[in-house]
Amino acid sequence: MAYVIISPRLGTVGDAYQPADGVNIEALIEGGFIKSTSKSTKSDKPSTDTNEE
Amino acid sequence: MATTTYLSNPVVTINSVDLSDQTTAATLTRVIESLESTAFGSTNRSYVGGLENSTLTCTMLNSFVATETYATLKALVGTQVTVKIKPTSGATSATNPESTLTAAYLSSLPIVNGKIGMLDTIDIVFTGGAYSVAIA
Repeated sequence: MAYVIISPRLGTVGDAYQPADGVNIEALIEGGFIKSTSKSTKSDKPSTDTNEE
Repeated sequence: MATTTYLSNPVVTINSVDLSDQTTAATLTRVIESLESTAFGSTNRSYVGGLENSTLTCTMLNSFVATETYATLKALVGTQVTVKIKPTSGATSATNPESTLTAAYLSSLPIVNGKIGMLDTIDIVFTGGAYSVAIA
């Protein structure tokens, strides 16, 4: 998983963030300090029922 | 006589986030629990060192603005976190050592400490974890 810094409190905004051991990644994401650069594998398109019985 | 004067630039980092501009006081105390080893025949109490149980206590300006105090701490309550403090913002060195508590525990977080006419400040305490110090 790759992360990018979005708050200057953590470093230079836009730089890749390499978490050290013991860092709570979820807290940094929830607090708005970093974001994941990985794209979601789930489609945003709502599923449709293709059963035409 | 050499002394240490804290004017405005100690650095406090919590979970990698620099909260120095939200912190008004910080005390890192290294504690090694004492285990009494006084035995029959002793005329004084004696102790040996037990487990380390150091603490970092911070007084912080409470802020609910994005990426400030509350945003940093809200998800850390009840978890282990790495906290760091050093006397000045200069490069880490023997005269500006960076102390770290790795996997220190934050058991509580005051949400609001309101009083009319006063700034909202909170005291938080990180307990335990492994103490280390870097000088380079």
